[in-house]
Amino acid sequence: MARPTPAIVPVFATPFAVVPVAASAELNAALGALFLAHATEAFRDPLAPPDPLCFRSREDLFEWPDPVVGQLRREMLAGVCAAVMAVSLYSEAEFSELKIQARARFLIVRADGCIPAGSAPMASWVAHYCVAAPPPPAPARADSGVVRLYGTRSATMFKDAANWNLREPFGGSHQVWRPVPGTIAVFPASIVHEVALNRTDSDLVLVSARVRFSHSAQSAAPPW
Amino acid sequence: MVMPSIRLNSAFAVPFGEGRLEACGKLNRELEALFLARETEAYRNPTPNHTRQPEMFESRFNLFSWPEGCIQQLRSFMLDSIAQTVMEASDLKPAEVAQLKIHNHTWFHITRHAGSFVAHNHPLASWSAVYCVRAGQTPAEHPESGLLRFLDTRCGADGYLDIANRRLRPAFALRSRPMRLEEGQVVVFPSFVFHEVTPFYGRDTRITVATNCWFSSVPA
Repeated sequence: MARPTPAIVPVFATPFAVVPVAASAELNAALGALFLAHATEAFRDPLAPPDPLCFRSREDLFEWPDPVVGQLRREMLAGVCAAVMAVSLYSEAEFSELKIQARARFLIVRADGCIPAGSAPMASWVAHYCVAAPPPPAPARADSGVVRLYGTRSATMFKDAANWNLREPFGGSHQVWRPVPGTIAVFPASIVHEVALNRTDSDLVLVSARVRFSHSAQSAAPPW
Repeated sequence: MVMPSIRLNSAFAVPFGEGRLEACGKLNRELEALFLARETEAYRNPTPNHTRQPEMFESRFNLFSWPEGCIQQLRSFMLDSIAQTVMEASDLKPAEVAQLKIHNHTWFHITRHAGSFVAHNHPLASWSAVYCVRAGQTPAEHPESGLLRFLDTRCGADGYLDIANRRLRPAFALRSRPMRLEEGQVVVFPSFVFHEVTPFYGRDTRITVATNCWFSSVPA
């Protein structure tokens, strides 16, 4: 009997984009210095408990007047727009009519620090920009400092020999992204994600943004 | 305005059972000593499906087959707690539950400074439980250290929040549920619920026993 040839396509797929930022070294050096200088109580997120192993700033970073922050904002939003355009049905002209809103904060994850899991309410997309990252960890610490996206949405409680070992993108397990300085990761805001424990002695510095879009005919976006 | 009369029910509710083993101090010290003595390669889970951490020891899944009295005492308490939760949450009668065979995979965890466990659930089981042998320290600067945190089963439900759904009562709240286990406490929950252990920052040890159960009818 001839073996049938199935046509297989992923359904319920989740877009995940990695966008490089050109010539980012200078930008990252300036951002790194700025964030270190502002990792103080005055700039800490008042809604999160203080954590000596992880600094989480207020979510007003994109409103700072510093030119380097303006540059970061432009780069990150351009990256998000490119990713969203690539997966949407909008024409370029239609997409250019949309208004974009974003709130961002910086995160410094120190040795043994982490960012607990959560999603990003009141937004459609999340972008993480990596300012600085520790060197690649030892193989035994493969998940040190990764951004881990939880594969909880399509989880099934029934497992047998024919569904536990599926290849990607059908496996359904958690997915990880290792932050690389000068790159942006973009994914849907509904995905629960975390930054796993940083098992190195170096800081991981990220900028995390919640992003959403509105149509020009839309009267008002809901409050954040 | 006349306020209409509304009867509030919950739908899609997730049953959680909580219990406590009274006068558990002696038992827990026996369990602790036994587990620390067997924190060795011979007893380590040889096929973990997570990234192994030196800060967290996971035993083989056959703990309740050990013959030691302390293990068998804990086995009775945990499986009875699960059976009781099943009866409370279902329409099974005690006589029916008594006829069921409870299968289990059971293991212990010893967690040290900066140990954690990634979010997971337990396919091919219906009920899970975690018992706390030793809670470990909670440093003042790390109030979220060593929590057992359950993820909200309603994925995406918190995507839109406003004043009228941000402050729902605890039973309805759109957020994960952290639980700080105390010594002698057991929590029973459906195995489909994703859960994790947040990084433990105590300088001592956090010791728990976890079990996954599935049930079958005993042939007449």
